[in-house]
Amino acid sequence: MSPTPPSASAAARPLLDTRYKVETPEGIDLILRPAGLVPRALAFSIDLLIRGALLGALFAALALLGQFGMGLGTILLFLVTWWYMVLFEVLNQGRSPGKQLMGLRVIHDDGTPIGWAASLTRNLLRFVDILPFGYTLGILSCLNHPAFKRLGDIAAGTLVVYRDNAPASPELPQAEALRAPFSMSLDEQRALLSFAERAQSLSGARREELASILAETLQVPAAQAEQQIHGIARGLLGPT
Amino acid sequence: MRLTDASVVIRPRSAWEAIDLGVLLAKQHAGLLMLSWALVTLPIFALLCLLLWDYPSIALLIFWWLKPAYERLPLYILSHALFGAKPSLKQALKALPGLLKPQLLASLTWRRLSPTRSFDMPVMQLEGLSGKARSQRLIALGQRGAKGANWLTIVGMHLEMALWFGIISLFYMLLPAQVELNWSWDSLIKAAAGEWLWLEHLSNLLYVLLLILWEPIYVACGFTLYLNRRTALEAWDIELVFRRLRQRLTGVAYTLLLSCFLLLAQLPSNAMAAASSSSLPIEDPIGPQAERLLKQPLSSREAQQSITQLLDQPPFEHRETVTRWRFGDEAKEPSAADAKALSELLKNFFTLAELWKSIDAVALFFEVLLWAMLFGLIAWLLWRYRDWLSTFAGRIRLPQRQHYQPPEQLFGLELAPQSLPADIPGEVERLWDEQPRAALGLLYRALLSRLLHEQRLPLQSAHTEAEVLQLVQALERKELSQFSQGLTHHWQNLAYGHRLPPAALKQSLCSAWRRLFEQGVQV
Repeated sequence: MSPTPPSASAAARPLLDTRYKVETPEGIDLILRPAGLVPRALAFSIDLLIRGALLGALFAALALLGQFGMGLGTILLFLVTWWYMVLFEVLNQGRSPGKQLMGLRVIHDDGTPIGWAASLTRNLLRFVDILPFGYTLGILSCLNHPAFKRLGDIAAGTLVVYRDNAPASPELPQAEALRAPFSMSLDEQRALLSFAERAQSLSGARREELASILAETLQVPAAQAEQQIHGIARGLLGPT
Repeated sequence: MRLTDASVVIRPRSAWEAIDLGVLLAKQHAGLLMLSWALVTLPIFALLCLLLWDYPSIALLIFWWLKPAYERLPLYILSHALFGAKPSLKQALKALPGLLKPQLLASLTWRRLSPTRSFDMPVMQLEGLSGKARSQRLIALGQRGAKGANWLTIVGMHLEMALWFGIISLFYMLLPAQVELNWSWDSLIKAAAGEWLWLEHLSNLLYVLLLILWEPIYVACGFTLYLNRRTALEAWDIELVFRRLRQRLTGVAYTLLLSCFLLLAQLPSNAMAAASSSSLPIEDPIGPQAERLLKQPLSSREAQQSITQLLDQPPFEHRETVTRWRFGDEAKEPSAADAKALSELLKNFFTLAELWKSIDAVALFFEVLLWAMLFGLIAWLLWRYRDWLSTFAGRIRLPQRQHYQPPEQLFGLELAPQSLPADIPGEVERLWDEQPRAALGLLYRALLSRLLHEQRLPLQSAHTEAEVLQLVQALERKELSQFSQGLTHHWQNLAYGHRLPPAALKQSLCSAWRRLFEQGVQV
């Protein structure tokens, strides 16, 4: 549930966000977070460095084998150029080493794991993205697309997203569990919880300021509001 | 600034996601940002070109060095647009002189090469901090935000280069081949003469043009990094929800109070209405399609209309326009020029083929390798599916011809040649007087053995004596078949009828045997 913004101008258009929703047939919204140009460019650079180092080492070794080494090297060059990304993406849950380091992965548009056909298409079409020099078309497409897709992604129906890390269990400040004196929506419950969770990272003055917003509705003096909110958060979290 | 007016979703993000949001934000206001940037930078670039016509590199360097000064305008536009107060182009340009005043010198000298420029700029321009307060603030903000800003600048530098070379190479590709040829010669000859300065200025112009695209994005990304850092540090998202919660609850309280009051005022009439409508009509007299609720602000007809409208819109209704290319006119007849070009192409192709032939040792090597790989693949497939093949391929094999196995016994008589004595007629003559049954049996046994192993008659254990005789007749050797008939006849008389053969038969049978089977030995 998204709260409706009060001002008329903002209500006219939806709020800007990088999230990408996929609705499953069961009516559940999967929220994906498409990755933009900067992390993708860095991931590509890492992959490029790895490939360069790999090929350099292999060619140095194969140069000793003469003509046979040259033939072998050509085949390896083909494999590393065209199959490095595809093999990693399909066999390693959509993650090449660069993407793994940057916390990215490739998936289909509908959130399913990437397959051979889509991975081959998106990687073969790198040659379109490279045109006319140094990924010019890919950069422009990536900057212009709402889900940051380059042309290969559009053709293959794939999406590069941030991986979701397993959430760490939060540390709540000590307080006696309380029941909230009013009913709250999911968003509001989450806000109260994250107030308690993030208490460590906020300054004392800022915590007090935030808590005092709710002092009146909680019917407590402003000085006790913070402790009251911590108590409600603990009540929401339940016994742990 | 009111958080409730923000036109982006406020939540703590990772640095990368904040940068992505900046790209979207710049795209949302792309028209104004790019136009204002172009209106500011293009005249300055033109001026620099005119002043430094002989030194294009220096003109570009100065233009590039002044980037922090131009960047203040996009930041001003974005910071206002974020909270719903997007300025017009005129307002933005009017605000520019005021924006340039604070700390311009610092921005253009010792802070020019700072990699976190985009991230630091909002602190100076929007918070208006300077000196020690600014550096303290930057330290507080920069603990987490600086990493993303550094990478943004590094990637941005490379991206500018990539786009610049991309546009230049696109430009170069579009040149006609003839111009290109002349150009390379001319540039060699006239480079020193300085007649190609305009070309360098042109490539500089391409850089200036690509900055119109990229710089607003760069500024927006820095701005969203800054917003994100403050969201995390000051819990803006929590503040936003808390404020809405308070508004909702106090609003609800007022509504409750008001509705209670109204309810109390209306109570008597409500009671009367309830009494009168106690008996409902079973059938609706005006039908289900009739208009209802006519005296209310939302009548049934209007409700129906808005429902239809709603059903006509995206999640319920999906329309798409498909555009395809089709062949238009008939293909033209190939002209002479086309044919010439084709022959030229073929000729080139053949020269290429010649070239390939000269290095066919390499080709041969690869051919062998690739064939080997193919055969290896086939072998692997056979090995991989060997179980399947042995199960299913056996069924489709042709029925095998049964090999003829000569029987070892017929009528209970041993037929192997080794079991017979070497001199058969002699043995028969010896046995005839004392054991005529054994003698005649031996002779018949020897006959069958010879028929089987020398004449290659396909005798089987199921054959009777008469059938054996028929097979012997089929050999069309008169003497052999007569001998066989006589012998068989006497053997049957003796074996089954216990009638002894005449004594004179001994000599005739033995001599006939010798004649038939041992002629070669005697001669």
